[in-house]
Amino acid sequence: MFSSIRSTVRNNIKQFSTSAKKAAVEPNSLTKKVIAGGVAASGLTASYLLYEDSVTADAMTAAEHGLHPPAYGWSHNGMIDTFDHASIRRGYQVYREVCAACHSLERVAWRTLVGVSHSNAEVRAMAEEFEYDDEPDDQGNPRKRPGKLADYIPGPYANEQAARAANQGALPPDLSLIVKARHGACDYIFALLTGYPDEPPAGVVLPPGSNYNPYFPGGSIAMGRVLFDDLVEFEDGTPATTSQMAKDVTTFLNWAAEPEHDERKRLGLKAVIVLSALYLISVYVKKFKWAPIKTRKIRFTPPKN
Amino acid sequence: MLSLRSALRNTCSLRTLGTQSRLLSSTSLQNKSTYRTPDFGDYVRPQGTDDKSRVFTYFTVGSLGLLSAAGAKSTVEAFLTTMSASADVLAMAKVEVGLAAIPEGKNVVVKWQGKPVFIRHRTQGEIDEANKVDINALRDPQQDSDRAQNPEWLIMLGICTHLGCVPIGEAGDFGGWFCPCHGSHYDISGRIRKGPAPLNLEIPQYQFDGDNLVIG
Amino acid sequence: MSFYTNIYNSLIKRNSIFVGTIFAGAFAFQGFFDVAVTNFYENHNKGKLWKDIKGKYLEGGDDEEGDDEDDE
Repeated sequence: MFSSIRSTVRNNIKQFSTSAKKAAVEPNSLTKKVIAGGVAASGLTASYLLYEDSVTADAMTAAEHGLHPPAYGWSHNGMIDTFDHASIRRGYQVYREVCAACHSLERVAWRTLVGVSHSNAEVRAMAEEFEYDDEPDDQGNPRKRPGKLADYIPGPYANEQAARAANQGALPPDLSLIVKARHGACDYIFALLTGYPDEPPAGVVLPPGSNYNPYFPGGSIAMGRVLFDDLVEFEDGTPATTSQMAKDVTTFLNWAAEPEHDERKRLGLKAVIVLSALYLISVYVKKFKWAPIKTRKIRFTPPKN
Repeated sequence: MLSLRSALRNTCSLRTLGTQSRLLSSTSLQNKSTYRTPDFGDYVRPQGTDDKSRVFTYFTVGSLGLLSAAGAKSTVEAFLTTMSASADVLAMAKVEVGLAAIPEGKNVVVKWQGKPVFIRHRTQGEIDEANKVDINALRDPQQDSDRAQNPEWLIMLGICTHLGCVPIGEAGDFGGWFCPCHGSHYDISGRIRKGPAPLNLEIPQYQFDGDNLVIG
Repeated sequence: MSFYTNIYNSLIKRNSIFVGTIFAGAFAFQGFFDVAVTNFYENHNKGKLWKDIKGKYLEGGDDEEGDDEDDE
């Protein structure tokens, strides 16, 4: 039975191969027409789609997406480079004296600054300058208390409506995670802060109350230029140029967004060392275990009869 | 590990076979075998060499186990650490109270982890009164010195040990606290003297830090 | 008895001792490795870390114990 099946299969294959050979040698005109038609149809469709796409403008221009920020050489760029903590400290000062007028930092608690940029006593003193709601007293009247380490850094406005009302309808974003929330991260923040031209380029029409910044998507930003040379005075004597302040506040904001940064890179270093060692050793052990299996030879001598 | 051992044992057993012409044991059945086995003599370590290569292999395998064990330990630790209190909870777990503002003979109530904490700046007379009490007559016998690190300051959880009401200060038959719910009377050391409560008012963990009191 | 034979006989020959050595070594390794990596890391970033710069801002240099947050 099997042999009969096998022979029919073999015959079929033979027939098929002969017919295929025939077609390859002299393709009939119908096949040619089908192929040509297919090529023409797909070409026309592609052309049409490309044309259709080109009719509408896309947000793919530098003006619409914002100018790409250059890649700056941050001191924490490397795989095992920590933040520059002196810069974080100066950046906090810039945030406190400049940015905090409009921007909140509500996800950062005072205690997180301790041991990062300030000492325990300094942070306590900073927190105590702010008032927080306390438990009501025995008569149920609301009370206030000075801030503690466990409190979160208060924002300049009570709520979003107050923030919008004070800024002509524009909401200053919370800065806690701003470095993570923007394409280009640190580079973008720095470029935006230092990228305000004296006046907008010719032909750019801005809505009232907005400013031109090429790095901001769309070009018109509600925030004006805020950093000017010698706006703050750093306690460590660093000259407070615009770019120095922008660099420091960007480093500070990056720390605020990634407070685990330094520890993460330290653990990453440990993990890379241990895992690559494990990999190399496992290669050795695999080779060792497979050596006798791969080098053995099995010979079969069939019986004579 | 076991398979490694058997693999090593196999290579070791070759040593003894170096002189034999075939790799098979010498049972009578296998002697009749027609298999021809090549002579591995050239590849077998001569007798008397030290264990250097063997120790090296075991060392390498041991290192693999060591690093894996360390990694597994770290992983388990990382998961266990997630069960401990987070930094914001820990930051709220302590309360600092400035003691300088509390005059002698005054009660102050602060909230600590949602519970009221009584702070009493006791006068010398009150301390003497607390020490005069006969311990054996008490329901929950406790020396006053066991209840206050510094006799001037009495710090207790303000929760009645009966059913959890908050007692009223400077009230009751013993000049201490009085629970209005079921009428438990506590003395000036916070010990239960009269009423249904079974135990003295609880003492939280606290320490003095200069002029500040840190509860928690 | 060569050095290697001594090692083999003392540490490797009995499986229980071999495995025990590995686990004990894992504990020792963790401590040692953490210290080594941390030292290297802090040396690599010298001058940028808070512990390197805090002397500049604090007179007397003495600080409360809540300052260090380098828990594992």
